Amino acid sequence: MSTSHTARRAFRIVIGLLAATVLATACSPGAAQTGGSGEPRAGGDLTFLIDSLGDTWIPNNSAISSFQGHVWGHVTDKLVHVDEAGAVSPWVAQSWERNDDATEFTLRLRPGVTFSDGTPLDAAAVVANLDLWAEGRPDEGIRPIGLFPKTYDRAEAVDPATVRVAFSSPTLGFIPTLGYHGSILISPATLARPATEQADLSNAVGSGPYVVESWRDDDSVVLRKRDDYDWAPEVSEHQGAARIDTITYKVVSEQPVRASSVRSGQADVAYNPSPKELESFKAQGFSTATPRYLGFVNGFAVNTAAAPFDDVRVRQALQHGLDRDEILSTVYTPDWLPAESFLQSNVPGATDHSASFAFDRARAEQLLDEAGWVRGADGTRAKDGTPLSVTLHPNPYLATSTAVDELIAQQLRAIGFAVDIRSFDVVTYTQRVDFGSVGLYEVTRSIIDAGTVSGILTDANNGEDWFGVGRSDPKLVELAAGIAGASDPAARDAQLDELQAHVLDQAYFVPITQIVQRIYLQSPRVHDVTYNGVAYANYYTAWIED
Amino acid sequence: MNGDYAGYALRRAGQAVVVVLLAYVFTFVVISVLPGDPVTATLRNPENGFSEEEIARIVAYYGLDQPVYVQLWEALSRFLVGDLGLSLRSDRPVADMLTEVLGSTLALAGTALVVAVLLAFGIAFGAQYLPRPFGPALRAFPSLFLSVPNFLIGLLLIQLLSFQLGLFRAIDADSPTATFVAALTLGIPVSAQIAEVLIANLDHEARQEYATVARSRGLGRWALLLRHLLKPSSLPVVTVLALTVGELLGGAVITEAVFGRTGIGSLVERSVAMQDLPVLQAVVALAAVVFVVVNLVADLVYPLLDPRVSLQAGPERGAAAR
Repeated sequence: MSTSHTARRAFRIVIGLLAATVLATACSPGAAQTGGSGEPRAGGDLTFLIDSLGDTWIPNNSAISSFQGHVWGHVTDKLVHVDEAGAVSPWVAQSWERNDDATEFTLRLRPGVTFSDGTPLDAAAVVANLDLWAEGRPDEGIRPIGLFPKTYDRAEAVDPATVRVAFSSPTLGFIPTLGYHGSILISPATLARPATEQADLSNAVGSGPYVVESWRDDDSVVLRKRDDYDWAPEVSEHQGAARIDTITYKVVSEQPVRASSVRSGQADVAYNPSPKELESFKAQGFSTATPRYLGFVNGFAVNTAAAPFDDVRVRQALQHGLDRDEILSTVYTPDWLPAESFLQSNVPGATDHSASFAFDRARAEQLLDEAGWVRGADGTRAKDGTPLSVTLHPNPYLATSTAVDELIAQQLRAIGFAVDIRSFDVVTYTQRVDFGSVGLYEVTRSIIDAGTVSGILTDANNGEDWFGVGRSDPKLVELAAGIAGASDPAARDAQLDELQAHVLDQAYFVPITQIVQRIYLQSPRVHDVTYNGVAYANYYTAWIED
Repeated sequence: MNGDYAGYALRRAGQAVVVVLLAYVFTFVVISVLPGDPVTATLRNPENGFSEEEIARIVAYYGLDQPVYVQLWEALSRFLVGDLGLSLRSDRPVADMLTEVLGSTLALAGTALVVAVLLAFGIAFGAQYLPRPFGPALRAFPSLFLSVPNFLIGLLLIQLLSFQLGLFRAIDADSPTATFVAALTLGIPVSAQIAEVLIANLDHEARQEYATVARSRGLGRWALLLRHLLKPSSLPVVTVLALTVGELLGGAVITEAVFGRTGIGSLVERSVAMQDLPVLQAVVALAAVVFVVVNLVADLVYPLLDPRVSLQAGPERGAAAR
C-alpha cells in the first residue's frame, strides 16, 4: 500500500515536472486574445476532457457522481432549477405550493414537455421518479438517492399536470432537493427496466436538450442536441434548442495530457487541471472556472468522544492554530475562498462567523497550556505521560487533501501536536475511516438544503452525529430540532445562524477552506457557459466561436 | 512426429485448463481477503447518507453478504458454463465489457510487437555492423530503453509529436497515428530485451568456427549475417517473444492511461482500484489463457526451427536461449 502510494506519488511528481517544463516552453498559438466577441451562433462540436466517466450509469446510482453528473445534466431536466447562489426557480415544475407546516407540496407541471422517446413528462412520470428517488429498488441493486428527504411519504398524480407530495413531518428542504444531484427526470419506460439494462447508457431516456448518441464504457460519451427542445429553465437567458451540435465527453486520465490538449487547441474543456496551473493558463488567455458547490466547507468534524478532543480547550486550540491563509496561498490560488462558517458562503442561510476561528497561534498555545498540555524537549506537548497526538486521514474524494494535510501537520506541530498522516485509497478509506473511528474526520459534503444539517450534526432521527456529542449538548439538540422541524424560512435562518455560532465556538467543526471540487479549464472560443448549484458546467446556453 | 505433436498438444491443453482455473481461484482468494468491496465503498460515500439497513439490502443483492466459499462456488460454477457474471462497478455483463476493450488492446499490443521486433533487429544488426562509434553506441540502447520509464517515453512522444508538431490529436486515441505512437511507447522497452538476446547471440555465432571459415573464404559481412548467423541467432528470440506477451499486457496498463486509450489495461486499472472481482477474475483467466497459448505455440514452433531439439523430453527453450 505505502509502496504503491510512493510510486504513484513519484509518478505524479515527474508528470508535474514534465508539465511544468512544457508549460515554460510552450508557445500558445491562438490563445492571445481573451473574451472574443460577436453574437452567439449555432453549431459546432465541443470536446470535454474528463478524468473518468465513473462507474455505473444506473441513473439513481450515478447522478450524484462528480463525473456522470455532467452527462446527466445535458440529457435530463429537473423539476426546479437551483443556481450558484442556491436560488430556486421554475423549470419542469412551473409553480408549487405547500401547506403551512410544510408537510404537503403541490407541483404544477409545465405543459408540452416530452422525453426523447416521445412520451409525455406528465404527473404520472413525475410520481414514478419521486417514488424511485425515495425508495430505490435495493433488492435489484438500485439505490435510493442519497439525501432525498427520509420523511417522504407518498406522491400522487392529481391530474396529468399536478402532483401532490406528502411527508411524514415538516420538510422545508423538499423543493431545493428537486434541483440537485440525483433528482433527474427519467422516462418511466427506462426506470421500469432492470438494473443491468439501466446500466447501459444507450437505454437512458430523458427530456433534456441533448440525447445520447453513443458511448463506450470508461472511454467517451457523445451527446447530440435535440432540435425540438423547448423547456429550458425559466431563468435561462436562452430558450429553444441548444446551440452546440454535439458534446463529446472523452476520458483522459492523465492531468497534464488533458491540460495540454486544451492548450494546443485539440479539445475545448479540460476538467480538473491542477489548481497551481490555473494562473499560467489565465495569463495565456484561457478561461478557468472554479464554481463552488452548495454544502459544507472542507474542514474537520471533531470527534468529541475521543481524547484529547473531549476537552473544549484542545478543540479551540485546533480552531485557532490553523493558518488558513497559508493553506490558500500555498496549495490553492486566489480562486479559492476562505471559509466563513462550516457552510459554504453561497448556501442560503450561511452567515459569516470567521472571527470565531481566526488564526491566533499565541491563543492556541495558551489554550493548550491551560488544558494542562506541557511542551517537552522535542516541542511535543504531553499530559500525564500521554503525548498530544492526532492522526490525519486525507480525504480521497478531494485531490488536494494530502497537500493540505501536510501543511496542517506543520502548523499543528508548531503548537505542540504530534501529527501523523495516513493515506488510504477510496475503498480502504471507506472501510477504515469513519466519524466515530477517528479524532478528526475531513468533511467534503454537498447538502441539499441547510435544513438537513440537523440530521447530520446530531443523532436526531437516526442522524450521523458527526461530533459524537449525542444528546449531551442540549443547546445543539435544541437548535438542530428547531431547524429540522421549521416550517417558516425566516425563523429557520435565525436558528441556523445561532447553530453556526455554537458549533464553531465549541470547535465541533474546524473549517479549513471553502471547497472547490470541480475545476474547469476552457478554450477562449467557448462562451456563455453556466454553472448550477452543484458546480456542474452546462453547455445548453453555450456557443463556440467560428 | 504428428503423433508426438498431438499428444504433446493435448497434455499442454490439459495443463492450460488447470492453470486458468487455479488463476481464477487464486484471484478470488487474494481479493476476498482485502478489506472492503466496491459496492459498500460507493454506498458509504458520505455524499449518500444511506442507512445501514439500506446498505445491507443492496449488498445482499450482489451476494456480498455471503460467506467467501459460497461466493467462490457461485462464481466458479458460472465460470465453468462460460458466464463471466456482472461487474460490481458498472452492473454490466463482464463479457460485454471485455469484448468492448479487447480489440483496442490487440491492435496496440500487436503493433507494439511488430515495432519491438523491427527495432530490436535494427539495433542488433546496427550494433554488429555499423562502423565506430555508431555500432558500439547502439549496444547501449537496450539498457537505455529499459531504464527510461514507459510513461515518460509516452508523455514525451505525445508532447513532441502531438502538441508541438501536431502530427495527431492526442485525444483521438484510436486513430492510426495515435495507435502507432502508443505502440512505439509500449514497444521500446520490449524491444530492449529482444535486442539484448539478439546481440549476444550474433556475437556468439560470429565467433564460431563456421563463421571464421566463411569469412576466410571471402564471404561479405552482410552475406554472412543473412545466410549463416541470422537463423541460429534468431531462435532464442522466439522464447523471448513468448515472455514478451506479459510485458505487453503489463505495459499496456500505463500506455493506455497515458494515451487515453480504452483497453484491457485501463479496465484492469479501474477494476483493481475498485476491487471489481468478477472483472478481475475474467481478465486473469484471459491472461492465463493467452500465456499458455503463446507458450504452447512457441514450444510447437521451436522444434520446427531447430531440429536438434528433442520432442521426447519436451523442448528446452530456456537452455537454448542461454
